[in-house]
Amino acid sequence: MTAATDTLSLTFAALADPTRRAILERLTRGAATVNELAAPFAMSQPAISKHLKVLEKAGLITRGRQAQARPAELNAQQLELVTRWLEKTRTHWEESFDKLDSYLATLQDTPPDPQTPTPPRRKK
Amino acid sequence: MSKMTITANGAELYLERTFAAPRDKVWAAFTDCEHLKHWWGPHGWDLTHCTMDFREGGRWHYCMSGKDENGETLDSWGLQTFDSISAPERFSGTDVFADKDGNAAPGMPVAQLAMEFVEVEGGTKIIGRTTYSTAEELKAIMEMGVEQGITETWDRLEALLAK
Repeated sequence: MTAATDTLSLTFAALADPTRRAILERLTRGAATVNELAAPFAMSQPAISKHLKVLEKAGLITRGRQAQARPAELNAQQLELVTRWLEKTRTHWEESFDKLDSYLATLQDTPPDPQTPTPPRRKK
Repeated sequence: MSKMTITANGAELYLERTFAAPRDKVWAAFTDCEHLKHWWGPHGWDLTHCTMDFREGGRWHYCMSGKDENGETLDSWGLQTFDSISAPERFSGTDVFADKDGNAAPGMPVAQLAMEFVEVEGGTKIIGRTTYSTAEELKAIMEMGVEQGITETWDRLEALLAK
């Protein structure tokens, strides 16, 4: 497995939790500190910190370096990765099916089934 | 030529396409390496390994070789397992990334796959249902508020699932 797909699995796991999705949604409106995030979610700061750690490990957010506050920020690139993965799935089927279509056509060229006799010609 | 339909329906990715060929031929194309090597994989990708054990409880181990966006040669290994087979109408199982020894990649999303082959006028319609444990979450992500910068990703994701 490449590094990219490893990260992808972490990303999917991180996205599977509704609280973490809600945190991401909040972060689309700008960076926020643990304090700011804890209030609307009615969660303890340690609980929020735990979720932020998962999101950070998945590459979905980055954390500021300011000593205490360390505001969290959305990393759009990671979502891009998820999108690309889905696109790949789509491309796989679309292009495979195009190839299958042509391939089946070549199979059709093999001698036809002699089961269907040509209808006898009627004299005028 | 009939084009493919692909839609997201909850956690399910639905695809449909009609081929101008009899059902037994289309069925064979899916279940035999001799056929699969002619078409499986996107453009520019070849099926370079194919071990097919097509029976209930059996598996298909394959490798697609091609080039990535940077022109680097890449081997992409996959593994399908077959849970139920009803020839020549339908089969179902799982599809997952794997390594060259046939081990499923840990932590990767596992797709539940169900393929249906329906006889229609002039050919065979394939109905494929792929269920990702995470597709629902992805949809929820799409429904989130969108801010500049990530709008484009959102749009693409939405377009992807809506097509």
